Amino acid sequence: MRKVAVVGLLGWSVSLALVQAQAPRLEPSKAPLPSVTTVDFVRDIQPILSKHCIACHGPRKAQGGLRLDHPDLAFRGGNSGPVIVPGKSRESRLVRVVDGSDPELKMPEGGRPLSAEEIAKLRTWIDQGASWPKPESGPVALRSDHWAYQPIRRPPVPLVKNSAWVRNPIDAFVLERLEQEGIQPAPEADKLTLLRRVSLDLTGLPPTLDEIEAYLGDTRPDAYERAVERLLNSPHYGERWARHWLDLARYADTDGYEKDLGRPWAWRWRNWVIAALNEDKPFDQFVIEQLAGDLLPNATIEQKVATGFHRNTLTNREGGVDQEQFRVEAVVDRVNTTFAVFFGTTMNCCQCHDHKYDPFTQREFYQLFAFFNSDDEVDIPAPLPGEEEVVLPKITEHERQRQQLVQAIEKRRQELREQLPNWEAKLTESERAKLPAPVQAVLNIPAASRKPDQLKVLLDHLAHSDAMLSELNRKLQAHDRAKPTLTHAQTLRLGPLRKTHVLIRGDFLRPGAEVQPGTPAVLHPFRPRHNPPNRLDLAEWIVDPANPLTPRVTVNWIWQRYFGRGIVATVNDFGTQGEKPSHPELLDWLASEFVRQGWSLKKLHRLIVTSATYRQSSAYRPELEQRDPYNTLLARQNRLRLEAEVIRDNALAVSGLLVRRIGGPSVRPPQPPGISELTYAGSARWIESTGPDRYRRGLYIWFQRTSPYPTLVMFDAPDSNTCCMKRERSNTPLQSLTLLNDVVFVECAQALGKRLAESPGDLRQRIRLAFRTALTREPTVAELSRLELLWHELHTEAQHNVKQAEGLLGSYMPERVPIPEAVAWVGLARVLLNLDEFITRE
Amino acid sequence: MTPWEEFVLQSRRSFLTSTAGGIGLLALASMLRDDRLLAEEAYLDRRINPLAPRPGHFPGKAKNCICIYLEGAPSQLDLFDPKPKLNELHGQKLPESLIKNVRFAFIQKDTATLMGSPRKFQKHGQCGMELSDFLPHLATCVDDICLIRSMYTEAFNHHPGQLLMNTGSTQFGRPSIGSWLVYGLGSESRNLPGYVVLTAGRGTSGGTSNWSSGFLPTTYAGVLFRNQGEPVLNLNNPPGVTRSMQEKTIAALRDLNQLHGQVARDPEIQSRIAAYELAFRMQAAAPELLDFSNETKETLEMYGLFRNDDGTSSRGGGRGVFHAFALNCLLARRLIERGVRFVSIFHASWDHHSNLDKELAFNCKMADQPIAALLKDLKRRGLLDSTLVMWLSEFGRTPLGENRPGFTSVSGRDHHPFAFSIWLAGGGIKGGQVIGKTDEIGWGIVEDPIHIHDLHATILYLFGFDHTKLTYRFQGRDFRLTDIGGKVITKMLA
Repeated sequence: MRKVAVVGLLGWSVSLALVQAQAPRLEPSKAPLPSVTTVDFVRDIQPILSKHCIACHGPRKAQGGLRLDHPDLAFRGGNSGPVIVPGKSRESRLVRVVDGSDPELKMPEGGRPLSAEEIAKLRTWIDQGASWPKPESGPVALRSDHWAYQPIRRPPVPLVKNSAWVRNPIDAFVLERLEQEGIQPAPEADKLTLLRRVSLDLTGLPPTLDEIEAYLGDTRPDAYERAVERLLNSPHYGERWARHWLDLARYADTDGYEKDLGRPWAWRWRNWVIAALNEDKPFDQFVIEQLAGDLLPNATIEQKVATGFHRNTLTNREGGVDQEQFRVEAVVDRVNTTFAVFFGTTMNCCQCHDHKYDPFTQREFYQLFAFFNSDDEVDIPAPLPGEEEVVLPKITEHERQRQQLVQAIEKRRQELREQLPNWEAKLTESERAKLPAPVQAVLNIPAASRKPDQLKVLLDHLAHSDAMLSELNRKLQAHDRAKPTLTHAQTLRLGPLRKTHVLIRGDFLRPGAEVQPGTPAVLHPFRPRHNPPNRLDLAEWIVDPANPLTPRVTVNWIWQRYFGRGIVATVNDFGTQGEKPSHPELLDWLASEFVRQGWSLKKLHRLIVTSATYRQSSAYRPELEQRDPYNTLLARQNRLRLEAEVIRDNALAVSGLLVRRIGGPSVRPPQPPGISELTYAGSARWIESTGPDRYRRGLYIWFQRTSPYPTLVMFDAPDSNTCCMKRERSNTPLQSLTLLNDVVFVECAQALGKRLAESPGDLRQRIRLAFRTALTREPTVAELSRLELLWHELHTEAQHNVKQAEGLLGSYMPERVPIPEAVAWVGLARVLLNLDEFITRE
Repeated sequence: MTPWEEFVLQSRRSFLTSTAGGIGLLALASMLRDDRLLAEEAYLDRRINPLAPRPGHFPGKAKNCICIYLEGAPSQLDLFDPKPKLNELHGQKLPESLIKNVRFAFIQKDTATLMGSPRKFQKHGQCGMELSDFLPHLATCVDDICLIRSMYTEAFNHHPGQLLMNTGSTQFGRPSIGSWLVYGLGSESRNLPGYVVLTAGRGTSGGTSNWSSGFLPTTYAGVLFRNQGEPVLNLNNPPGVTRSMQEKTIAALRDLNQLHGQVARDPEIQSRIAAYELAFRMQAAAPELLDFSNETKETLEMYGLFRNDDGTSSRGGGRGVFHAFALNCLLARRLIERGVRFVSIFHASWDHHSNLDKELAFNCKMADQPIAALLKDLKRRGLLDSTLVMWLSEFGRTPLGENRPGFTSVSGRDHHPFAFSIWLAGGGIKGGQVIGKTDEIGWGIVEDPIHIHDLHATILYLFGFDHTKLTYRFQGRDFRLTDIGGKVITKMLA
């Protein structure tokens, strides 16, 4: 800890005279040159390289992208280019950095300099042609013993004592560990808790009253499994899991940065994700289409739409920015996001230097960069089913009307042209003097000698002051603005090939050695089918079953959504700085099972939610608090506060307001005033949606990067600037204020209150109904009686001042119910929508 | 007996028998909330009110803290630590021995040269503290300030650096200074969060982890007020809801959450209950907090509330940042007056790799006047003695000019963890002194090196804590703000 202080003191001990001195430099011409006649690589050179260079430029570390342990790599050179020029030692960087003739770099860095004899040997070897016998094998790949880079093996399912508890192999792995620790698993959650849990997890929506009733009535032993099937087949499953994928894909509806312009077609890719998940598109195909759909043979429009995944990068349209800089930044983000999502690896470091902890080099970063470097961003027509039939005729009709307008304009101009001599003749001196100078100038030229462009000055002047023509032009502009268009989609398309260079220190102005597309050496072999390799090869390599990371990383982030914590807690870091898996064998078994089941996500979900592990009660176990504060052993389920979008969806659903339409453009539900007005972005203007669009699910809310919808921010939605694999779960008084007072949640309470007020039954029956609707369970006696007390309290308050209390009903005035009662019901509904349990998945 | 009465009785029983959790106690407190005496007792009970005030290990001079965090590392060489020798050596190289094992974010070692400061330094106050001409207002407060020129840190990049300064560790997941203090002392404010975070300018790269409660309950986390428009959204009740109805709503929520808490036994439910109660009280307190009509024109002008922005800066913030920062300083005083324990003011960014002089001028123009006003205002109201005010950042900047590839000229400085400057005032700090000394070019420390853990130990001391004893058991280990280091710097104490 005191090391830094020592450095500081050391600094002082250096005399200032030394500060002024120039670093001594060895002049190459003055270096003694012992005579060396013939040099043999193995005898003379290899030992020099081994002694001075290999530690940093070998298979363990390839500093500056240079490796000197194999001729293929040594002759290829480092990030800045070749270092050995056979026959020309003076031009060879390898010599120049050791003999002092390179002004910028002295090697070996931090080590003993080479002896004059060694330098001479190197020079002679290079001047004699740098002969390096071809080794029998290729270069040794960068190695790592780290667990995450080892192949996935399918471990045997362990035997456990309490085999009756085990519903599927997940449970055997979990229970094995619990039994080692001498801990019993928690009892199964009760039936309705389980139904609400699995409904929220699979669809993001609570069960409806009908679903609750049907489930309670289903006495078959596999009632739960049947409910799971129903939920997996619900179109809302696609919405729920699309939102998770959107987090990873840093989805937003605007560009980001200062101008933050809108992206009117971003949602088209979101539609694709929802549909792909609903049809259970195998994950390998899901990945291939998103990374390289455009490169598939006879790519369909939908496959091209899928490439919108990497169109979610930020775009800077600020004045004066270097377009190339931000193009490079977008490509860098594509590499980083790809590696975060599929490899749980932070590649970001490698933009500027080799990874400090993990076996990835800067050169490899740019080899990955090369896959994305030649892509063009194109918005293509991507009509939805049935859209063309409707829109194409509209476009034709629009064009026809436009032609009519254009013709009318032309006709009028012709008329004006004909009127020109007459107009000129009638001009009085004073009228003439008031005309704009250029017009007067032309009028001074005799009519016969006016050139066409001069004539145009006159004509434009007449046109400008002609009311009829102005009206026609205005109509044309309005007509053009109303042009119907097919839905478009943001896609990537392979453009003309760009050369890719290592960017020295990540600076786009400092290209180093040229690199070809390639994958990191520490990972499984890359067998491209194209030359040069393209994104399709990359995508296929990612979903190669031999890939040690993608299946593990994927099952892990999915697991996290169910338990609040990944088997590897650092879901975004599977590297050496990340946490080790809590259940390594379970992770590998799940990963191998995922691939074995044809990468089916629905099968993976089914496996997890039908396990006994998942079905445990989430009640805290105080006796385990010190031993296992994070519940890593899974001796119970975890209570999870719902995500921002689901909190909204849940309130809309139980109040009956939710509009369950799937997909489509983003919507702008009401938000408090003063949110978007304060950002620079003009596109942030929040024009509230009307009608059903006010009540759509949270994932459809327009995401303005510079001023996101406040309820989303309040409940920890990601900022959507970079890939987010794990959301925070905060708990603040500001959240309470949102749920209590925000106009959306108040409206939900009003709608639910109205339904309750109009429902048949006595007070208690209706409170039970309210409770069941909101929380999917019956209230306890104490809960019921507390709510009853509340109802009476509110009722009394409202009776005192009916006129004022009526305000709480908003536009939800129930039929034939006294106002104080209606108010009491809204107030009671409001309490239910604010309960901790309501915003928690138990 | 109605079920409700039964519940009451049961609660009373569990109040009498409860050993942990205090659930029954809370229910009782809630039921009998009209009974002032009991309510007072309940208010002071940690099991019911996690923010209940309680004493430290010994009486501390500081009661409240305002932490002004200048994110990005302001250049100490252009503000706090004059180096005439550095100006003399401007343009010369540093000996290799000095920079051999040193990392830089962007500097190219081989061609880097020393960069003098164009700023003029002058002695100020009775103590004669030297400050640069970028801080003319702060210069009038030097006799209250303890300037430390010998801070050092291990962290070299912004985010880890910010975590180390704010939480005592470069790792995620540790509680921030404010969280520790609110955990240790509770909050004197019943109506506002114990720990409020105000921001201006761009977001900080550390984001919420800088005011996180880490493994402490989320009740102790900083509550971020918005930096645009209304600081707190949705403060008003919906139409038709009176304060009395809102109170009954909150009471029902508390009881129902409590009942469910008996089943779920999740401590987060206690935090949720506390959050609702606080929200309710904030509704009453916040409008008054945000009503500046009782501030005199002189005060508002002193803070510089009516200044126009001096243009905009890509680093220092867009339009309105002068007003936002000044407002935050004034708001900080008002929060402290109302018993808030810890107020953080963040401003980003001071990360001047290029165009340093111009960008620093912008930031200082923004910050200097309001900060000085805050110190004077606290002092004349008799609050400075009990309010610790700090100017902090994650590290300093190099005496070397930054010759980053791609830069057309050398006009900024890189990150420098080996020696940097911070200052503290009030709250038991001995003002009018400079602690520590750096060498003639400001590279290393030659006198009184102070580590971040030492600073933290001293801060805790000012609040009445032995930093080795303010701990929280987590995963079987007692954690503390100062990790395994830290010593109180007695020179700093009044």
